Parts: sequence; structure tokens; C-alpha cells
Amino acid sequence: MTIRATLGGIFASVAILVVGWQAGSAAVTSANSTSSATRPGSSTTTGTPAATPSAAGAPATAATQATSAAPAKAAASGSFTGSDTNTPFGNVQVQVVVSNGKITDVKALHLTDSGGRSVQISNYAVPILKSEVLQSQSVNVSSVGGATYTSDAYLTSLQAALTKAGL
Amino acid sequence: MSANSTTRASPVTAGRSRPAAPDRRQQYRRRSRTSDLLVTSLWASGAVAVALFLAAGGGARFVTIADTVTSIGIITGLIGTDFILVMLVLAARIPLIDRTIGHDRAIAVHRSLGKPAIYLLLAHGVLLLIGYGMSSGFNPIAEIGPMLSLPDMPLAFVGLGLLLVVVVTSLVAVRKKFSYEGWHLVHLLSYIAVLVAAPHQLSVGNILAGGTFERVYWIALYVLAFGAIATYRFAEPVIATFVHRIQVSRVETVAPGVVSIHFSGRKLRSLESAGGQFFVWRFWTGRTWWHSHPISLSAVPTERSARITVRDLGTGSSAISSVRPGTRVSFEGPYGMFTDAGRTAPRLAIVVAGIGITPVRAFLEDSRVRPGETTILLRASSPDETYLWNEISELAREKGARLYTMLGKRATSGPGWMPQADASRGVTLRSVFPDLMDSDLYVCGPTAWLDLVERDARRAGIPQHQLHTERFDW
Repeated sequence: MTIRATLGGIFASVAILVVGWQAGSAAVTSANSTSSATRPGSSTTTGTPAATPSAAGAPATAATQATSAAPAKAAASGSFTGSDTNTPFGNVQVQVVVSNGKITDVKALHLTDSGGRSVQISNYAVPILKSEVLQSQSVNVSSVGGATYTSDAYLTSLQAALTKAGL
Repeated sequence: MSANSTTRASPVTAGRSRPAAPDRRQQYRRRSRTSDLLVTSLWASGAVAVALFLAAGGGARFVTIADTVTSIGIITGLIGTDFILVMLVLAARIPLIDRTIGHDRAIAVHRSLGKPAIYLLLAHGVLLLIGYGMSSGFNPIAEIGPMLSLPDMPLAFVGLGLLLVVVVTSLVAVRKKFSYEGWHLVHLLSYIAVLVAAPHQLSVGNILAGGTFERVYWIALYVLAFGAIATYRFAEPVIATFVHRIQVSRVETVAPGVVSIHFSGRKLRSLESAGGQFFVWRFWTGRTWWHSHPISLSAVPTERSARITVRDLGTGSSAISSVRPGTRVSFEGPYGMFTDAGRTAPRLAIVVAGIGITPVRAFLEDSRVRPGETTILLRASSPDETYLWNEISELAREKGARLYTMLGKRATSGPGWMPQADASRGVTLRSVFPDLMDSDLYVCGPTAWLDLVERDARRAGIPQHQLHTERFDW
């Protein structure tokens, strides 16, 4: 009888774990696909038909840098809102303030907030990200340790905003 | 050993006629199926705790060392808390659990989960300090500061501390230093500990974040555990106490140091207490109200009266032997599987020593046995301790049971649970009960003595489910 109980217990446990794992990987896959869809953020999210050197994918960042380095054509000004980016710890969305093609401020509209620990991580990571972005005038900054999800989503949203701004 | 009454095959008297003995094998099969289901759900609840973490995308959070440590920390917390909630359910004296595996086995499982649970929860705290510390570049000690600044975390630390106190005071070595009441009072802290730990589970982690299925499940677990405690440990006893209005009607001295306390009350049959079950009694006098006493009924109650028989065992027992008629009594119960419902085999063997006779007396009165089915062995070290033997012998005659008695101090050689004279003559459990393998063996008496009988019975090869014991050492 105890054998039956043990086997039943093991079987039920394994089944439950598999279901949980499947549910989890489905959730992660969908979260990744949303964020990777927004990540390149170049051609699709372009708001104004400004002369953006919109090559696809990787060169985009380099191109952006080049644009901002050379005081070019119509230097953008104003506030631009980035994409709303999913993470397992909540959505991240930023707004960038640009003045004459220069990033002057990055406002966090929404940050990872699923649970107090996520809030704590956001609070500690975001000031670091912001100051590095302002300093480098680009999204080419490394993620903050222990806040990988937040950093990646922050930079993704920022990239989308910068693209809108034509930077 | 003297066989003073043998098989007078008297048919069951008309007044006490009962329905024919039920199919014990089928009854047992049904019970063991329920019991297996309970064990399976215990396993499953632990698995669900881990599955919650996986379902929240935890499977992907084992990439860096810091993430891995944090993830394991979260899992240990989930399993540890699940164990604690299971422990509450096991201690809640839920009728289904008591009927299926018995209160004593439920408490044994409860005890065996205590240490794993506290280890898991300590690991939870330590691993998260390390994991969080690694990811933010602090050492684990320096991480305590930021950790405490999180919402609800100070409470969680308090909860862990309280739980540690509860588990440490329950370690066998430590528990001996406390009175039952002192220990129990400390044990009640565990309710507070579990409750104050709840907010941080919902607010700090993201596994049980708002609006998720995981959160609903987790809260349901809490509601189940605390609901069971509130219902069966608090509400039901209070209601029963007021409905049945039990008070002491008479105290009768049976032997030196042994009294029968007669109760009067209302609707006592509706308690549906089976013979052999016990209640936890509390006598409301100035000197006795803080002690509770688990004591079996020593007779099947009538509609308006019941009886217990008590020997001065603990500090409280001597005080209750001097309670006055009219004393109000509150109670919890009935509990226990030392009953006819616990039977699994066609024949019945009973071995009983000293004051252990009380549940056996009620059990025998209540049991549905055919003439010749039952063999009883009564044991006492002196003629002074032959409490209720006259009543048992009368019942034995009525039920057509074979009755043996053994009188004298425990043997120093041979089977230590019988007197020297019988041990020397080569009497064994098998010679007293030739049909032992086909019998349910009910044993009741002091722990040390009972352990010896149990050892002999196991050596004789009796299956676990045919062995029913009730120890008198609370």
C-alpha cells in the first residue's frame, strides 16, 4: 500500500513539474519573442519620415552613433516615447528628451515592478543606466550587474525612442 | 497465567444487538486508498511549489551563478512554506485525516516534517542573501541592509526567527525541559510566524505576483491550512462544549490513585464517539483550567452521561482527581483509531496493561464481534492495579471472548512484558494468541511495556495494518 502511495506521489509530482516547466518555457518564449521583436526597433517604429539611415539590424546602432556624432541635417528636439518592452518582471518603457540632437534626459515611464525585489532592482539600476546613457549619448552601454532584464529592456525601449527621434 | 473465563458462546444480547460485522477487508481497502491519496497529495503539494516557480519562467533563471543561487533560494522557500502549511493541516485534527490514518500517525508525519521545513526556510534566507548579494556586488552580510528595506521583509525575518524557536523547543532533548503547557504556548507562535511570513511572499518575489494563478493557489493553501485550524481546533470544540454542556457529576475512587470521573451532559450520542477514542479535556477550576488532558472514555457514553477513568500520571492528573461535582468541562474530540472502525482482520487479540485498560474497556463494549472471535490478555503488576478487570470480564462473557490474566512484576529474562513466572514457563505472544496472524492486535499500556509487546508482535511477523497501539505517556 505504501508502495502505491509512493509511486502515486512520484508520478503526480513529475507530472506537475513537467506541466509547470512547460507553462514556464511557453511564457519565457513569448516574452522573448516580444522583446526581440521590439529590440531592433528601427524600421517599424520610425515615427517621422525623417532621413533615417535605417539599415536593418546590427548596423542600426552604429549608424545612429554616426548620425549623432556628426551634427547633421535637421537636428531633432523634443520628447520621444520608446516601446513598451516586456520582461518576466514587468514592462519597461522610457521617454527620451532630445535637444538639438543631444540626449538631455531619459525619463522612466514604467519599470520592472513585479514584486518588491524587482522594484528594488529598478531603483538601483536605472540611475546607473541613465547616467551612462547621458554620458555616452547612445544605447551602447553595458547592462547593470544583477539587473540584466531591466537593463536590456531599458535599452531596447530607449533605442526605439531614439529611432523615433531620428537619432 | 489463569484462564478465568472461556468461551461461553452466548449470542449477542438483544438490547445491544448491532448490524452484522462489516466486511473488514473492504473497509480497510477503502481506508488505505484514502490514505494513499493523502500521501500522494502531500508529494504533489511539494511538486506544485516547484512548478509554480517553473511556470513563472524560473526554468530560464539558472544562467549565471548568482541567478542559480537565487533560484534555488526561491525554490527552498516555496517548498519549506508548503511543508509548514502541510504541517498545520496535519495538526488541525481534520476528521477525514483522523479517520483515515489516525491522529497519532498524522502527528508523527507532522513531526517528521518539522526539521526539513526549517532547514529549507533557513536555506531560503541564506541563499537569497548570497544570490542577491552576488548580483549587486555586496557580501551576504552587507546585503541584509538592502534586504530589510524591501517591503514586508522585516516581518519575514521575525517569522523565521519565531519558527526557529518553535522547532528548537520541539527537539526531543529540549522539549523534555518544558511542561506540556509551556511547550504548547511556544508552539502557538508558529501561527504568528507563518502569518507574518506571508506578506513578503506576495510582495517581494515575482513568482506570486498580483493577478496570477500562482498567487491564487498560494493564498488558497493558506486559507485551507488556517481554515482547518480555525474550524477544527477552535470553532468546533467551542461549539461542542456549549452544545453538550458537560460537567462533572460524580468522582468515584476505583483504586488508590485511580478515579472514574462521571460526566453529565446533553446529546452525548451525537458526538458519535466510537469506543476506544479519546477526548482532550479541560476542567474549568482555578487550579486545573490551563492543563488539557487527552483521556479515553472508559465506557460508551449514554445520551446524558459519560465516564473517564484516570490515574495520577502527570502533574495535572492528580489535580483533576480532586475536582468537585458541578465543575464545567470543555473538550475537543473524539479522536483516535483505536476503535472497531480500525479493524482489518477476522479475529481480535487484545493485550492491555494497567490504566491502559480504559480505552480497551470502551472499545470492547462498542465492538461488533462474533463469539469466539476475541482473545483478551490483561496485565497488571499487582492486584492493586487490576482496575476495571471486573467490567472487562463481564464484557468478555457477554461477547464470547476468551480472557487471560497475568499478574506480577515484569520479567528480567525472556519477554520482558510479562511476569517472570509466565516468561519462565515459555509463554509467548504466539502461545497466547495462536491465531495472531489472522488477528488485529490491539495493545494499550505504558510506552516502555508497549514497545516490548510491539517488538514481539513484529518478530512474530504481524503486518503493520493489523497492529493497533495506544501509548499512555502524554
